[in-house]
Amino acid sequence: MLDASRVQKELVEIERDKSLSGVSIQIYGDDLTHMCGMISGPVGTPYEGGIFTVDIHLPSAYPFEPPKMQFTTKVWHPNVSSQNGAICLDILKDQWSPALTLKTALLSLQALLSTPEPDDPQDAVVAQQYLRDYQTFLGTARYWTETFAKRGSLGIQEKLAKLVEMGFSEDIARSALDSCGGDENAALEKLCSG
Amino acid sequence: MDAEAGGEEERPRDDEILAFHNQIRAADAEKLEFVGDKEPLSVLAAEYASGSPVFKAKVEKLGQTYVAIRRARGDGNCFFRSFMFSYLEHLLVTQDEVEVARVERSIEECKKTLIDLGHAEFTFEDFLVIFVEQLQSVIQGRETSISLETLIERCRDQYVSNYVVMFFRFVTSGEIRRRTDFFEPFILGMSGMNVVQFCRSAVEPMGEESDHVHITALSDALGVPVRVVYLDRSGDTDDKPAEVNHHDFIPVGSPQTTVDPFVVLLYRPGHYDILYTKQE
Repeated sequence: MLDASRVQKELVEIERDKSLSGVSIQIYGDDLTHMCGMISGPVGTPYEGGIFTVDIHLPSAYPFEPPKMQFTTKVWHPNVSSQNGAICLDILKDQWSPALTLKTALLSLQALLSTPEPDDPQDAVVAQQYLRDYQTFLGTARYWTETFAKRGSLGIQEKLAKLVEMGFSEDIARSALDSCGGDENAALEKLCSG
Repeated sequence: MDAEAGGEEERPRDDEILAFHNQIRAADAEKLEFVGDKEPLSVLAAEYASGSPVFKAKVEKLGQTYVAIRRARGDGNCFFRSFMFSYLEHLLVTQDEVEVARVERSIEECKKTLIDLGHAEFTFEDFLVIFVEQLQSVIQGRETSISLETLIERCRDQYVSNYVVMFFRFVTSGEIRRRTDFFEPFILGMSGMNVVQFCRSAVEPMGEESDHVHITALSDALGVPVRVVYLDRSGDTDDKPAEVNHHDFIPVGSPQTTVDPFVVLLYRPGHYDILYTKQE
């Protein structure tokens, strides 16, 4: 049901200019319904220098239904849940169009990082801080970028491979990494305690 | 933390909103196909039997020119689905191969426009191919030829119908953006948006309703004239006989005098259906 040939073409398109666009996608094996997007934080924002990973699920009606996207890197941003990475963006909902692609969606997320819309928030606390105490907001957003988006978030596949090597199944290791925002030590702790 | 949790609870999650949308669409689907059966115009009279006198008078008036109606599902894509069926049915009935060849040239132009505007070809080529397939299959005497029954089936098929609707949305958006200077004043006045915002939010997403701007753009881009007959409350207060207004969308560059649109749609506020003209 999923238009696999279209998804393949999209992946080729993203791969072609990922160094210029600042967005890229990694696929997990042959599964085209689940992938990992990566967005480099826009220059001149508190997200600069960070690499933000996005969990992407394609519904079977894609491209007639929007991709489901959620940040797996923790982000301090009015339109992103600081709890679970859920994103508030019109094109991921009713303003989605099959004229858009995974690349344009990721670029829109990148643009959202540059231009928050605090009047239409996903995270009320962050939005309030953004509106009432912008300096504190900047500080927190920068701190979160330093803490969660820099320390090797590029190497999510390597971390996954390490955990698999230790004997955990790929699925379990990935969901542990996901739930810990990509922090491998926290993930390992979680895996060992669970 | 409590405040944050509370803040998030107020807003349904994206997938919940979508699931709800889909539920509504599924409920609609049970009521009516994308395009319904051809029904005598008397069904309209029955619909307004207990309605306002203006509507009753207008429906009676409609009966002088038109014989039948084919309803389209009210899912925001009704203009495009009505246009699709009405146009293809006309070609199937008339076997107008010259028109098919002409529109195929227009489609090539649309393709160039979209590429010039920066759309990657793969984003629209599948939609384009499905529409061209339908165009070619309504002409008889080929291996791929189809009957009217099959055309109806295809126009009720979610895959075919949605692909063609999406192709028309691309074409409409492309035409509006190609002629920004012409369209922008209307769009600004109507919506306060610029052309790019308008196309992104009111043309390209499925389910966004169409108005004058969309119809003008699609008709111009494909070179297909469209008549829209208005069944509304206008003329309510006068005691002169009710007039049914219509507007002909004549593509730019057509010789005005010779054009009599064969795509005829009935507009009632927020909705389009297909009308059939009496044959003389």
